[in-house]
Amino acid sequence: MKKDKNGNFKMISWDDAFSFIAEKLLEIKEKYGPEAVGYLWHLDSNEMFSQQLFTQLYGTPNWSGHGAACDQSRRLAGLMTYGHPLPTKDYENSRFIMLWGEDPLGPNQSLHENRELVEVLKKGAKLVVVDPYRSRTAEKAHVWLPINPGTDGALALAMTHRIIETGAYDADFCENYIYGFEAYAEHIKSNGYTPQWAEPITGIDAKTIIDLADEFARTKPAVADGLKGIVNYTNGFQALRAIFSLNAITGNVDGPGCLILKEAGPLAPPLVIPEEAVAVPQRPIISAEMGYPLAPDIPSQLFPKAVLEEDPYPLKALFFHIVNPAMADPNTALFKKMMAALELSVTIDVYLSETAQLSDIVLPEASMFERAEVRESLWSGPQVIMSQPAIPCLGSSKPLYDIMRGLGEKMGYGKYFQWESWEDWAKVATAYLPVTFEELKEKGVWHGELRYHKYLEDGFMTSTGRVEVYSETLSEFGYDPMPAYDDGNRVKPDADYPFQLINGKMQYHCGTHTQNNPYLMAIEGENWAELNPLDAQKLGIADGDTIELASPIDKVKIAVRLKEGLKPGIVRVVHGHGFGRTMGSVARGKGTHVNPIFDSVVNDISGGIGYNECKVSIRKA
Amino acid sequence: MSQYGFYFDKEKCVGCRACEIACQIWNDSVQTVKWRNVAMTFEGSYPDVSNVNVSMACMHCGDAPCKKACPRQAITKDDETGRVTVNRELCVGCMLCLWACPFGAPQLGIHGRMEKCTFCEDRPMGIKRACEEICPTQAIVTGKIEDLAKFSKQNVSGRLLHDESPGVLLGHEGN
Repeated sequence: MKKDKNGNFKMISWDDAFSFIAEKLLEIKEKYGPEAVGYLWHLDSNEMFSQQLFTQLYGTPNWSGHGAACDQSRRLAGLMTYGHPLPTKDYENSRFIMLWGEDPLGPNQSLHENRELVEVLKKGAKLVVVDPYRSRTAEKAHVWLPINPGTDGALALAMTHRIIETGAYDADFCENYIYGFEAYAEHIKSNGYTPQWAEPITGIDAKTIIDLADEFARTKPAVADGLKGIVNYTNGFQALRAIFSLNAITGNVDGPGCLILKEAGPLAPPLVIPEEAVAVPQRPIISAEMGYPLAPDIPSQLFPKAVLEEDPYPLKALFFHIVNPAMADPNTALFKKMMAALELSVTIDVYLSETAQLSDIVLPEASMFERAEVRESLWSGPQVIMSQPAIPCLGSSKPLYDIMRGLGEKMGYGKYFQWESWEDWAKVATAYLPVTFEELKEKGVWHGELRYHKYLEDGFMTSTGRVEVYSETLSEFGYDPMPAYDDGNRVKPDADYPFQLINGKMQYHCGTHTQNNPYLMAIEGENWAELNPLDAQKLGIADGDTIELASPIDKVKIAVRLKEGLKPGIVRVVHGHGFGRTMGSVARGKGTHVNPIFDSVVNDISGGIGYNECKVSIRKA
Repeated sequence: MSQYGFYFDKEKCVGCRACEIACQIWNDSVQTVKWRNVAMTFEGSYPDVSNVNVSMACMHCGDAPCKKACPRQAITKDDETGRVTVNRELCVGCMLCLWACPFGAPQLGIHGRMEKCTFCEDRPMGIKRACEEICPTQAIVTGKIEDLAKFSKQNVSGRLLHDESPGVLLGHEGN
């Protein structure tokens, strides 16, 4: 669909759409260079086609996942500490599990993890959850520690202090596999990161921290990890570095029951592009020039700056594939302004998302039931999944390969898209797997072997080949080389805005994608804000009231629910609903879009979005 | 005759309500109210809060009170599987079964007739029921009652195997 002059969508043929987009892309490349085009995607393995088209052939470096709105800080902390962006957890064999702001049993469900976690709890493993909100996972925990928002790093450092002070660390592992342990021990001591120091910061008493540290060091194997509750703060990167270092100094790395440095299956690029045809980007990826040279994904919340102010360089066209930053990114007003200023905006999605509605062109993609996919799983060992279309494509939708092929042909790269069927490219992509294509097709999945202690042979993929509690790379780029506690960039509540806002996802919905599903909407038809009854009482607010949340940049009205399982002084908002979807008959008018009140706060090292860096005032509306 | 039933583990249930949705979708053509429902209870105040999630449907009782209560003999118990079902042609919506059921399983649908879990009547036996199949934490298990009893014993003994201080277990489990 293409927008006409009046801003209404008109159906056009695929051929016209491809011609229009290709022409625009070639024109932009001519005028501004290929880097003026950005492509943002979610988590689709078929993204290998867009990657090959946009970066290898067209030549833009600005092809990026949605990491900034997601686990960006964790990914970078993993890279800087273990040389691995996505450590997984081997719950099944663990005896002590400590999760910081991570809710695997709630909205972030991953099947095998869920099953392993509840099974291992039944076998007697201990679970500690650190979160100001009593999440689904906290409900199952032996210990729930409602920590002060954004102070997770202080807790991890204080535990580290205790473990180093008592000599409870794994001396052999520290000596042989850690880079900079001596310096780190000195750094922890000289900064005085004691449990007593952490008590007033975290709101967790020193005795609890000491007991926790002792038990963590004593119980093997153990695993400590964190996710959304940490990465949403500007100091989340350092907090995760501290947590990853905690695993390291106790020797809990890549063994049974520990954080696992996951191996991936050997998947090959599906298109064969000769080396001489691969474009070399003329300018570095835009995040590097934005001042985030280490950011794994582009901080998408800074796209508006690039588009509107041509800072650090002009961005003229954006592609959105199964991402919905109009709903997900902060400062919605600024995002809309950016969309209006783009020369070309294209959304490829399975439904008409809010971002699609703001785009010039919308390309309907086939859903997961109508297309094939070859992807790596999230299991700790190498595992490749091949899903096959269950039904033919409905309506005029196309799988991503066909879309990229159509576009590629118009752009003059047709000869690289020679595959006719999905089997053709899937065969190339899975050629290195130790199973035949027929067997893979029949079973749908290939499991490799989950190998432990891979570092014994291969070392770590860091610059020193060891776990880096002291990172030379961070030092080189002028950042703190060791995990430190710094809340200088935190947005804290004050007299005018006395509440800390924290974010949550809804267990029954998937981000902003499912608000038109009648079954799920029957369970939860709107989103809400949560308050502790003590705070509500002071404000004269009752359960079910509508309240006004005002941040320094905007305000919204939202329904309120009172929760005993939430630390006082905090308002927790659940994201995903509201916006006035024009096409969703079920979703329309339900709930509140809260993102306008978030400012674009960025983690200054990873470039992740600081959603929880928000202070608000509350009054009954 | 065999008796099939549900095994449910509250320690595994995370309250995600996937079972409700799977039940609704599988039984879509007839279901107008929820045949399976996840009840969630909370108590206590910050920071000492506790809660429990329980996914419930018809228990397909051995000696079903609803069957006895029905004046129209619309409720029957299947010999082969022990499932308790209602013939909605015969039901007049008098609601006596609702009063008789200790679990609140029978519900009045929009047509004014009783409806409830049929143990996925139109699903062949030997495969998982819709709720069991979807459960992400495997909190719901179905099968013959005697197999379920065995399964739960194995569960407990499996736990003792991993216990750090094995000894004699008296009375009921903790938690």
